[in-house]
Amino acid sequence: MKQITIISPNRPGVMADISETLAQAGININHIDAETFNESAIIIMNVDNYDRALYELQKFPDLKAVSEDAIVIRIENKPGALAQISTRFKNANINIRSIRFLERDEDYGLVAISTERTEEAMQLVNDVLVA
Amino acid sequence: MINKHPLYTPDMLSAEDRARLDKLLEKFEYEADRFLGYPCTRDFDFSPLFPFMFYPLNNVGDPFEDTTFRLNTHDIECEVLEYFREYTEAPKNGFWGYMTNGGTEGNMYGIYLARELHPNGVVYYSEDTHYSVAKILRLLHARNIMIRSLPNGEIDYEDLKETLRIHRDVPPIIFANIGTTMKGAVDNLDKIKAVLNDLAIRDYYIHADAALSGMILPFVKDPQPWNFRSGVDSVSISGHKMIGSPIPCGVVIAKKANVERIARSVEYIGTLDTTLTGSRNAITPLFLWYAIRAQGWEGFRKIILRCFKTADYAITKFKQAGIDAWRNNNSITVVFPRPGPQIMKKWQLAVHGNHAHIITMPHVEERHINAILQDLIDDMKKGNVA
Repeated sequence: MKQITIISPNRPGVMADISETLAQAGININHIDAETFNESAIIIMNVDNYDRALYELQKFPDLKAVSEDAIVIRIENKPGALAQISTRFKNANINIRSIRFLERDEDYGLVAISTERTEEAMQLVNDVLVA
Repeated sequence: MINKHPLYTPDMLSAEDRARLDKLLEKFEYEADRFLGYPCTRDFDFSPLFPFMFYPLNNVGDPFEDTTFRLNTHDIECEVLEYFREYTEAPKNGFWGYMTNGGTEGNMYGIYLARELHPNGVVYYSEDTHYSVAKILRLLHARNIMIRSLPNGEIDYEDLKETLRIHRDVPPIIFANIGTTMKGAVDNLDKIKAVLNDLAIRDYYIHADAALSGMILPFVKDPQPWNFRSGVDSVSISGHKMIGSPIPCGVVIAKKANVERIARSVEYIGTLDTTLTGSRNAITPLFLWYAIRAQGWEGFRKIILRCFKTADYAITKFKQAGIDAWRNNNSITVVFPRPGPQIMKKWQLAVHGNHAHIITMPHVEERHINAILQDLIDDMKKGNVA
């Protein structure tokens, strides 16, 4: 079962919108979980049609859907915070494909990281791992 | 001149089809007077070039090389490139470039060139970078790290430094924004080079995305460091934005020595054509050439001064109405709090997070500012301003 992480504005009805859109596309949600992150919501779901679900989620301009190829972490919003995380990967000899901010507020940032070895990467950042 | 035996004539269309075209034109006439959020001018008239539309023109290949297909405007394209060489202060006999189908292709060429020169390099770009760059990085399989932005939209130099420090063993490819999409911020190349120097990084590449500001900064008195004189290796500038064109277009300019180095590496494909696409637009070079020849340096300088004046007018008026509006130095992008959806739709505003902007392109007049301001005031009364 593959996982999709969605970063969305913390607006009323967002879960219902997502569920309805996926249902209309014939996609079953096997598991869904959500938590708030200041003005954002982090929604983690498992679906039975992963590729189609990612395609359908593109219809929401205010959502960022992260595929299982990337891990999502939460870091402090200060210069050098991401560099500290990068150091862990460098020391573990794990090449980073890409790092990008998904959301950032005054205190924290949500960051998607794609590496060549996802499982090991998750272990490395377990203390700040969101999904 | 006119083709006597065209394959398609108006009488071949049904009345319904002709009506559809008429309606589309009416829509454009209406909407063209209400777009304030996108950096394209509508102030152009290229109708004298209409006769060129009767020929199957194609600028396929390297504009500086001979070709057997002669229905091209390569000579005109090279003249346009020479103007942009002057604007970007590229070395007179040490540059190469071509006309692209827009800023994104120019950015793709710049990153492609950088990646060919530094196959193990990592691309660094700020949070405020245009979304298309993420697509390019994916297409080119370029390793990449996004860097925080400062509140005004510039790259966070401290964050860049700390991140570069970790990866100093691989050449950095800096994707510098010379005018960000949302806030018109210019990444300071002197500061970026100081960071590289502090870390003793000698092997690096800087590409400048100067989509809009590449046609602003050459004409201002106190430009931020942004061009070849300030150390960039390549630059992409849009043609349809400040100059204006009914067809999107742009230019990419790069150091000739770098282009020649990668030309050797692509010899196996049997061509020295290092442009990214095959067939290329031959009409858009005519548009830019026509505009540049007609306006000249002084003409563009006056146009840009007028844009600044409109931007300052907007800021003054917005502030008087209690709306927190501002712009970066040498930018015509006026940033203000995100309004309600109806205003965004009516005035075709681009928004990101809690911010919206209007870009005072040459076609934007004080009457437009007054009209949107009135809508914003009405909207505020409904409590819709963020």
